[in-house]
Amino acid sequence: MIAEKVEEYAFGGLVAAVGVFTLADATTIAARDENAVGPRAFPYVVGALLVLAGLAAIIATARGKLGQAEEAEDVDAGVRTDWVTVGKLVAVLVAHLVLIDVVGWPVAATLLFFGAAWSLGAVWWRALPIAVVLALVVQVVFATGLGLSLPAGIFEGVPFLDG
Amino acid sequence: MDSITALLEGFATAAQPEYLLYALLGVTLGTAVGVLPGIGPAMTVALLLPLTYSLDPTAALIIFAGIYYGGMYGGSTTSILLNTPGESSSIVTALEGNKMAKAGRGAAALATAAIGSFVAGTIATVLLTLLAPTIADLAVQLGPADYVALMVVAFTTVAALLGSSPVRGLASLGLGLFIGLVGTDTLTGQQRFTLGVPTLADGVDVVVVAVGVFAVGEALYVASRLRHGPIEVIPVGGRWMTGEFWKRSWKPWLRGTLIGFPIGTVPAGGADVSTFLSYAAEKKLSKRPEEFGKGAIEGVAGPEAANNAAAAGVLVPLLTLGLPTTATAAVIVAAFQSYGIQPGPLLFTNNSAMVWALIASLYIGNVMLLVLNLPLVKIWVKVLRIPRPYLYAGILLFAALGTYAVNFVVDDLIVLLVIGVIGFFMRRHGYPVAPLVVGLILGPMAEEQLRRTLQISEGSLSALVTSPFAAVAYSVLVVLLAVAFVLRLRRKKEESLV
Repeated sequence: MIAEKVEEYAFGGLVAAVGVFTLADATTIAARDENAVGPRAFPYVVGALLVLAGLAAIIATARGKLGQAEEAEDVDAGVRTDWVTVGKLVAVLVAHLVLIDVVGWPVAATLLFFGAAWSLGAVWWRALPIAVVLALVVQVVFATGLGLSLPAGIFEGVPFLDG
Repeated sequence: MDSITALLEGFATAAQPEYLLYALLGVTLGTAVGVLPGIGPAMTVALLLPLTYSLDPTAALIIFAGIYYGGMYGGSTTSILLNTPGESSSIVTALEGNKMAKAGRGAAALATAAIGSFVAGTIATVLLTLLAPTIADLAVQLGPADYVALMVVAFTTVAALLGSSPVRGLASLGLGLFIGLVGTDTLTGQQRFTLGVPTLADGVDVVVVAVGVFAVGEALYVASRLRHGPIEVIPVGGRWMTGEFWKRSWKPWLRGTLIGFPIGTVPAGGADVSTFLSYAAEKKLSKRPEEFGKGAIEGVAGPEAANNAAAAGVLVPLLTLGLPTTATAAVIVAAFQSYGIQPGPLLFTNNSAMVWALIASLYIGNVMLLVLNLPLVKIWVKVLRIPRPYLYAGILLFAALGTYAVNFVVDDLIVLLVIGVIGFFMRRHGYPVAPLVVGLILGPMAEEQLRRTLQISEGSLSALVTSPFAAVAYSVLVVLLAVAFVLRLRRKKEESLV
């Protein structure tokens, strides 16, 4: 509970901080004509909105009005936050975006699907073949059907995989 | 032009085999994403945007409209058969529909939802056909100050009227407006808030933001509290083609339509409010109020119809004013813009053939959806059973793919991840994500109209309120806020009774 409250304060603070940044950075936008409404006016409005909303969220939190976590079909409201799984998914996404240009999309995508499914509790020997097939099918569809070529990486020059 | 003739021409276009196929693709995809937890129509349209650049705009928009309508049908199947609460607009359905399914009357609940959606969708599309050209004619006369007023109304209703916390809604709106500011100012060519990063000079792509908050944010959030164990789908039981079924359903369908359509049209809170009002109305009018809460068919029929009628109603301001009032509508506006078409009053004159083909495809799509969701509902029950690890892994894969396919640069994936993490924390703390998407898409349009207004008035702020239309719009907004406040109190009371 206390941890959640700290998190709420932090998010409200982040919103307000983005607002402060908006207001501060808006002053650096060159406004040539002082009479006409230039590129600064709207950012000022947005910045003010963010600062006010962020502060209001902090005040609401302080008064005990915590935000209600969203409900969803697959969400178990009764369990504690599984930070490890969230961390694994973020790591898998980072690995995916780093690897695209290194080993190509098919391998990076296989890793993304396999890594995510495994992190969420799938059995590895079932997740792996699905990941491989899915990545290759998408690669072929893109290369041959849509005329958009995803980087083939290690499959460069291979027919159907390199568009 | 006579709108009946135009509509018939629209049917002639939409009935071509190619466009029928696109409509079928759209409604099938829409039903699938409606059934599946974790993905919705807004994200699906965003994901498909980069892939449909090669199609002609009419085809792409027919697909998107199909996804939009299909999502509404699919959502009810999930809320009736899945043992857990779901999407906000169908929670009321879950209340009664779920109880009916558990009592072995699942078939009747699904049928009244599907037929009710069809009846409401069709009637509401007729109303759209009749109203839209007239409203567009009137809207042509609106000036920039009037548009500013309309957008302020849209911002306020989406941010402050939806969701449980107006403050958090406004914060979400602000974040969206801020992301919309990043990039090069169209009027002066100056870079704003780009931090000198070249990727940000063109602004943050709508696809990346929408996919980030909806797909990545949702997947991370679900992962943090994943419901483990078997997926409990209630088996479909019972017969539905009974005299009693029709007798108890038809009035709620019509009442739901009458409640839902206007609410969808006037941005007063979206589908959520309309289903709730319909549910309350049915409960009050029922001869068997004691059945409510235990599986009353009226409690499924009315809200489901209201939900679909509201969805069609949302298309009225979308097509005639270019004003999106839901996240999906906002992404559809972005789709129009990606084809260089600005939805708004001129749409009916400049792109008449396209918009009528689109409207015609809504009628056709509704018929397809009835078939897909009544005799073929068993297929969707299977889809509902997809093991969650694979479902969310797939969502992440396609989110990354769709984002990468926008520009084929890895930097977009970094932005995707950052926005996904923000979406994750927003869900944890009750910040609704729809205002962010609406703010992102409407923000730049609002700024343009605001600057135009003040340029004409030479900086005088009073120009914003002196136009009669704008004055009326702001007055209506005040009334809406007051009504919403009262409704919120009533709803709290109602919920405590349920």
